[in-house]
Amino acid sequence: MKGRKLRLVLLLGVSGLFLLAWIFPIFWSLLNAFKSEQDVLAYPPKLIFTPTLAAFDDVLFGPTSIVPNLVSSFIISIGTTIVTMVLAIPAAYALARLRVPGKKWSGFYVLATQMLPPVGIIIPYFLILRDIGWIDTYQGIILIYLSFSLPFAIWLLVSYFEDLPFEMEEAAFIDGASRMMTLWRIILPQVRGGVAVTVVFVFLNAWNEFLFAVVLSGNVVRPVTISMFNFVSVEQTLWSKLAAVSALAMLPVIILGIIAQKHIVKGLTVGAVKGGGRR
Amino acid sequence: MSPMKPSRRHVLQAGLAAVAVPAFIRAGLAQDGDLAPYQSAKIDWRQAAGEQITVAVIPASYFDNLIALAPQFEALTGISVRFEKIPPAQIRQKAVIDLTSKAGGYSTHAADPMYYALYAANKWVESLDPYLKDAALTDASWFQADDIIPAWRNANTIEGKLYGVPYDGEVTIQVYRKDLYDAKGLKAAETLEDFVSNAAALNDPSNRLWGTALRGVAGAGQNVYIYSSLFREFGGEWFPGGKFRVNGPEAEAALNWYVDVMRKYAPTAAQNWNWPDIADAFSQGTVASYIDANTSASVINNPEKSKVVGKVGFARWPKGPTGKRVSSIWNWGFPINAALPEKRKKATWLFIQWAASLPTQARTSYQYAGPAKRSGVNRLSLWKNPDYVKLMDSFGDNFVAATLGALEHDTDVNWRPRVPQWPAIGDTLATAIQQALVGQATTKAALDEAQRRLEPMMRG
Repeated sequence: MKGRKLRLVLLLGVSGLFLLAWIFPIFWSLLNAFKSEQDVLAYPPKLIFTPTLAAFDDVLFGPTSIVPNLVSSFIISIGTTIVTMVLAIPAAYALARLRVPGKKWSGFYVLATQMLPPVGIIIPYFLILRDIGWIDTYQGIILIYLSFSLPFAIWLLVSYFEDLPFEMEEAAFIDGASRMMTLWRIILPQVRGGVAVTVVFVFLNAWNEFLFAVVLSGNVVRPVTISMFNFVSVEQTLWSKLAAVSALAMLPVIILGIIAQKHIVKGLTVGAVKGGGRR
Repeated sequence: MSPMKPSRRHVLQAGLAAVAVPAFIRAGLAQDGDLAPYQSAKIDWRQAAGEQITVAVIPASYFDNLIALAPQFEALTGISVRFEKIPPAQIRQKAVIDLTSKAGGYSTHAADPMYYALYAANKWVESLDPYLKDAALTDASWFQADDIIPAWRNANTIEGKLYGVPYDGEVTIQVYRKDLYDAKGLKAAETLEDFVSNAAALNDPSNRLWGTALRGVAGAGQNVYIYSSLFREFGGEWFPGGKFRVNGPEAEAALNWYVDVMRKYAPTAAQNWNWPDIADAFSQGTVASYIDANTSASVINNPEKSKVVGKVGFARWPKGPTGKRVSSIWNWGFPINAALPEKRKKATWLFIQWAASLPTQARTSYQYAGPAKRSGVNRLSLWKNPDYVKLMDSFGDNFVAATLGALEHDTDVNWRPRVPQWPAIGDTLATAIQQALVGQATTKAALDEAQRRLEPMMRG
């Protein structure tokens, strides 16, 4: 009994340490967002200080306002997520359920696109977008983001479709439903959790992307990941503003996570008899 | 590069308010009187009217000042200018992609002097000499190219041809706590030995005061920035007998000095510091001296951030064992993209000439309406202008004399090997220095390994 208690305490202690290590950078960054520049640099580090909203005020309403950049990030991330999901759901369903020649290989091919280091494909992408006049446009960036978000989404969704029992679809077919109607009315509600997880990840990847954005964007499209660098100039790092921008950039993702969490849990618990597979 | 008594808020407000109010500037500043100093040049400023050029710059107050004045250029020439701000770490990559693909996306960009050899070897940018010599495009007596700091021009010159006109730049000098030095009767170091003994005299980690700090983080523009100058001061040659060499006794001596100083007198964290980190530490009073770009003066004099305002002294880079001072220099210059159509090349040249001219340099620095005055002006005559000197000397004791002395006498055009392979050399050397600093390898082994890696690249 004693041993069990000790084990529990140890386990809780270790988990607590991991949690601390995980949460500390975020906590510290948030704290810095409310500090003056001198308080950020103070030694010993200040835990008690007079909080100020000056950094938020500057980054939101000052001359370097990041609001247009947040708008850019929203358009890109939402656009990428919508197009990805519209294409990925039928593709993943087909991979999971239809008998098409070369299906095995097409699945691998989709995965293989994820193996290319992004830096190696920037130049071809740049050339293609330049030739079609899509540099520094939303459609251009979204198109390029699809190249990594679509395979990822398909792979994630396939496993959810495979988990569903065939019997549900067969029952719907017997009732006279078409395949699309079955997908829409019967299958999708069952994989709501999977769709929610996929949406979160696709949105997150697009929201945080930097490498492609810095090369393919310009003055018109300027996501927040790039504008953040305005606070790390060659002259100095403006720590509290950088922290304020980071906090603001984190916020939409956190909100999305909280909203999606409900569906994720529901999707995982509610539902049908397990036991599908790939046909 | 920054204001007299710069505050963060002011730096940003001035630079960026200027971007935000182009309409006001158009109406208020681009009057005939404003254009008069340019119209006295005997060239037709409107010969490329109707062209549109795109200029890539980094986010920095000195470029913000230029962007603020761009409506004057547009009114003068009829050329429209579109600026794009790109983070400093990415501008090289983006410019190279644009140049490689011959997309002509950027008519000109804030260019790294170390890249001109690569640009020139691939004919990505134009030699600017024909533009300077063409009387229809340049009024030589008005533009006075010789007034532009020769060290920066040399840095942008490859095989006798100028490829980028410097707009703003820096030079590396000694920065020290005058109050601490005075209290101990120390003087700014004349030699590297003095520098070490000053650092030793003040080093007191138990009271959170370290003798010095030098850039420690690995990178072509970081630890290599300091090491290369030391290498040259210890008598190192990049191409002894025509063969590329980064190892040998001089290299080892230089690296030993660097490693020794960093281990004994710098905070351990400095192994990962770049210059903003050093300036931050100095501004908090924890570092007694450092050697770095003169432009960090704006940060250590920022009253919102710094605790050492009014306690700072400046001096030239200490002499090495060879008796030479070799200061590292830097400038952001403007080249002309070779992929542009002819008329746009002319438009780009007119922009470069306007940006680098004395009136624009004055208007973006001490005459600038906002508080973010530039300290990196490109003209010797401005560095000797009493109004500008008065403004700059508020940075601390001896600031202008140290900076100008270094700019005129201490720079060595070959302080880094100016060859197309530079990006690879810089990265390899950075790794070697870092390995020696953190004790992963002896200085000899680290440099020998760098030599072994670089030799095939230099042959190819």
